[in-house]
Amino acid sequence: MSVLRLEQTSRWFGNVVAVNGITMSVGPGITGLLGPNGAGKTTLIALMSGFLAPSAGAVTLDGEPVWRNTGAYRTLGLVPEREVSFGYLTGRQFVLANAELHGLRDPGAATRRALEVVDLLEPAGRRIGTYSKGMRQRVKLASALVHDPAVLLLDEPFNGVDPRQRLHLMALLRRMGAEGRTVLFSSHILEEVEQVARQIEVVVSGRHAASGEFGEIRRLMTDRPVQYVIVADDDRGLASRLIAEPSVLAVALRTDGGVDVSVSDFGAFALRLPRVAREHGTRILEVRPTDDSLESVFSYLVGG
Amino acid sequence: MTDPSAATPEGRSVIHDLGYRPYTGPRLGQGAIARSLVGTGLRNAFGLGRSGRSKVLPFALLALNLLPAVIVAGVMVLVGLDSLPIGYAEYASTTQVLVGVFVAAQAPVLFSRDLRHGTIALYLARPLGSGTYALARWVSLLGATLVFLVLPVLVLYGAALLSELDVAEQTRDVAVALGLVVLLALSLAGVAGLVASWSTRRGFAVVATIALLLIANGIVTAVQGIAGAEGRPRIGEVTGLFSPYSLYRGLMSAWTGVEAPTPPASTGMELAYVAVLVGLSAACLGALVLRYRRVATS
Amino acid sequence: MNRTIIRLSAQAVLGRRRGIVLVLVPVALLLLAVVVRLLTDGDVGFQATAGLGLTLALPLVALLASSAVLGPEVDDGSIVYLLAKPVSRHVVVVSKYATAWATTMVLGALPLALAALVLDPSLGRRALALGLGGAVAGTAYSALFLALAALTRHAVVVGLLYTLFWEGVLGSLLAGVRWLSVGAWGRAVAGEVSPLLADEASTGLVYSLVAAALVTLVTVWFAGDRLRSFTLRGDE
Repeated sequence: MSVLRLEQTSRWFGNVVAVNGITMSVGPGITGLLGPNGAGKTTLIALMSGFLAPSAGAVTLDGEPVWRNTGAYRTLGLVPEREVSFGYLTGRQFVLANAELHGLRDPGAATRRALEVVDLLEPAGRRIGTYSKGMRQRVKLASALVHDPAVLLLDEPFNGVDPRQRLHLMALLRRMGAEGRTVLFSSHILEEVEQVARQIEVVVSGRHAASGEFGEIRRLMTDRPVQYVIVADDDRGLASRLIAEPSVLAVALRTDGGVDVSVSDFGAFALRLPRVAREHGTRILEVRPTDDSLESVFSYLVGG
Repeated sequence: MTDPSAATPEGRSVIHDLGYRPYTGPRLGQGAIARSLVGTGLRNAFGLGRSGRSKVLPFALLALNLLPAVIVAGVMVLVGLDSLPIGYAEYASTTQVLVGVFVAAQAPVLFSRDLRHGTIALYLARPLGSGTYALARWVSLLGATLVFLVLPVLVLYGAALLSELDVAEQTRDVAVALGLVVLLALSLAGVAGLVASWSTRRGFAVVATIALLLIANGIVTAVQGIAGAEGRPRIGEVTGLFSPYSLYRGLMSAWTGVEAPTPPASTGMELAYVAVLVGLSAACLGALVLRYRRVATS
Repeated sequence: MNRTIIRLSAQAVLGRRRGIVLVLVPVALLLLAVVVRLLTDGDVGFQATAGLGLTLALPLVALLASSAVLGPEVDDGSIVYLLAKPVSRHVVVVSKYATAWATTMVLGALPLALAALVLDPSLGRRALALGLGGAVAGTAYSALFLALAALTRHAVVVGLLYTLFWEGVLGSLLAGVRWLSVGAWGRAVAGEVSPLLADEASTGLVYSLVAAALVTLVTVWFAGDRLRSFTLRGDE
């Protein structure tokens, strides 16, 4: 059980602030680091993995700073976005070298185990130069897993991986999270983060825009409109009564049945909807958020 | 509730014409593409159109290379010598290390990067043959090398003219030097380009080119020196054929009278020197075209 | 020192193409020695051969070896795979230096002695002197070039300018350059071992040895320190 902690961490390059006063704590389980391209995700991962000195603040792993602390790599595994340029090595040689560098007691066994985990045992005898993008991604993962780290940082791990391997990789990450490891991966694609991580950290323009379980984040944004589709036995009647509610911003009838409701205050609306329905004897058949997905959280966060 | 079929009558779906049109005008051919590629390549070789950091190296080398010429020009103007302390053609021979480093360091800019990062496919996806691409890159490198070699000659020429040295004589000497410099640039661009396209690692390409040029030159010079001392200049003459720098030195000595060990003594040998310089660059160019043809088909 | 890093570095140094060029340099030197031997009775060509070997072949081998062990990995950032390990960065550098140094000794200094032997097998001491001078210079060269590779992407060009322009061109014009010239220190050591190689413009044995040792230690330490601050950047 290891915890990575950032305290008021900033990093600037000349005049450009890449990471701006971020405080976050990454604990056991899977955390998705979400943000558009250029938001500072790679910079954050570099800070977390000890490959970048914070300009201000501190980055610690279990209380120890990670910058200039090679001992941290005993508990930390890193899968950088960079390609492996050791094309002249076979996959097995590369992972074995990583195992040896960690000073493992039985590097051969550790190598075999790591290759097995990423499903790369069969092509491990081939040179990395001949690998496909997905295989390179997996050999990178194997090299980071070889010492069985408590913390695993992955920079854009799903880039260039085909859908089948993506599912495999996601299952692997979920399993590692369930085992109590601290897994953090970055992505700019919402569906990916949504499928793997419940805990997300949203970074926009180097700033920490949101943190937490994404449904909760969604609900926290009460000052932003939330969209629902409500299907009732009397759509038009319900619509006319809902528009009288202060928490409702807009109502529209759908051509295929149901009412689109735009809500400004989620909490108040959740209390009022059943009462309104009961008072007027309307039966509600279905309440469905149309945008309670990370997509909308993200677009609001980025757009706002 | 409204009737959906009434709300969406037949033919409501439409793709609006926003005015996007395919380009139907005239298109420039291979020649124009190649010309613009040559121009861009020439600029890139000096770091123009690239980041500020990539300008440092070529311009630092150019400045180092020009420095002696500027000093000579200053001395000429201030002291008023009646002849240039260094010949036009001799200059490139004296600064051969800088010339070699420049060509070796900038060839990878033109030849390695597209191969290493796979962007070569973007060029070849255009109506541009792999041979034309190789040729255009080579011409860019040749042009950059010529700029590097010709500028100091022009500085010296300007100094000579300002000092009112004999114009006809100076112009003839400059013409000879320019001819020699073109021959040298042809062969250097060929060798450096070929090495850079063969090794896509920048640093390695630079050392390999320098090793090839300077070690060959060093060996040839050593053998020539010994052959001269032993009174067997014929061996030295033949050995001179094996390195671009010694070929240049031999021709320079034969055409301008500057001292060099065992220069080609006969017209036949001079022709052989010219033939080897041109042949070497043609062979390198041919190999480059083949190399890129293989890249294009694999 | 770390065996794994030495092994990986050796694979990088002797990788196909670089390996070919690395071996070609000493082969060219030995070929020259053979040709000179055939042309003369051996002594006339010694200066030329030794000069070529010490001022060109040796630094080029050191540059090729040192830039191979560090250059490409730093250049494309893939050195993070070696650095994200509980191994001191100084150990990483020292291991890489050991590889480059061994390569320089075998393919740079040893061929110098062999070439001298080819030219005149009876002058064993002269050959030994040349080899030792090459070893001292090669030790400092490979350390210096390693530090350059850790410092700048243009390490190779800077290294070439140092050897060819500073030591070569300026060194032949300004005698004072020899005090800051690795090659001159090597020649001074060779001159001390064999009077046949003695040169009046020597930097002296003690100065040369101390300077070479100092350059080696400081630059290797510096390279390690640079790696301690190795920074991972996104794609530019």
